[in-house]
Amino acid sequence: MSGVKKEFVQLLANYGHIGFTFAAAIMIGLAGGIYLDQKVFDGRTAPWFTFIGLAFGIAAAYKSLLEVLWRNKDKDEKKDQDK
Amino acid sequence: MEHPILFISIILEKMGLPVPHGPVGHSLLEQLCAPYMTYTWLVMAFLFFVAKLTLGDLEMVPGKGQNFWELVIGGMDDFFADNMGREMTDKFFPMIATFALYIAVANLIGLIPGFMSPTSSLNTTLALTLIVWLSHHVIGFKAHGLGYYKHFMGPVWWLVPLLLPIEIISNFARLLSLSIRLFGNIMAKETLLAILFMLAGGFFAPLPIMILGVLVSVVQAMVFVLLTVVYFSQAQEHAH
Repeated sequence: MSGVKKEFVQLLANYGHIGFTFAAAIMIGLAGGIYLDQKVFDGRTAPWFTFIGLAFGIAAAYKSLLEVLWRNKDKDEKKDQDK
Repeated sequence: MEHPILFISIILEKMGLPVPHGPVGHSLLEQLCAPYMTYTWLVMAFLFFVAKLTLGDLEMVPGKGQNFWELVIGGMDDFFADNMGREMTDKFFPMIATFALYIAVANLIGLIPGFMSPTSSLNTTLALTLIVWLSHHVIGFKAHGLGYYKHFMGPVWWLVPLLLPIEIISNFARLLSLSIRLFGNIMAKETLLAILFMLAGGFFAPLPIMILGVLVSVVQAMVFVLLTVVYFSQAQEHAH
């Protein structure tokens, strides 16, 4: 692979998964909240754990998003210093 | 939705073995004859025999076959070393490189009519993901002992109730996103190709999708491997 193509594929690999991870984190938070509400507490606490789970899921989604950014920021800075 | 013709399934049916027509079979034999299983074995056999045939004995002055493999393995080795350091690379190279080769071949094989991608079944990708996910925790526990739990605790103690659920959720999200992304991309490619073959196969309608399919296959294999490398190196690092 030539240099440009290789960089293109690397960029896709670095950032292409952000969307899916974001959605997956929210889904898991929401699913956990619904499970707590409906199965563990038999619907007595509904809808509170659902909302709490959703909030945690969104927070986790942003955390994984920022993690990708921070990780690549370190690497980019290193690359700039090398130049 | 499946490919119109899967030649291994046809051969197995001619041999009198039960090939399931749904996504999975009922009996053990039927499950073993499911297309994604048979094509997984085909990919495994392909990798094994091609490596054996082209490599044979290692020589000081590489021939054609050895040259190709040196390029592939050397490129992967550099890529891993860039992302997780030399020591970790030496330790986990066989595992991750096998994953990379297997996923890349399994993705690309679906572009040939008569073949299907084993990775277009969620079972395959989930199995791969579970191996990666479990082993990155094993690496964490091995590197830090029981202190590995600090990875999930955040920087200061009063943030623990807030950060613990967030860390756990984002850790499980890895499991979900890693498996479903690979499965979804490849299944979409396969389904689109099958539909276009049926609609306008005579007019080369699937051709542009096949070109995109090559890109998607390579990129998805790369994403899977890159994320594996990143998870391994994060488990190895010290907690913040």
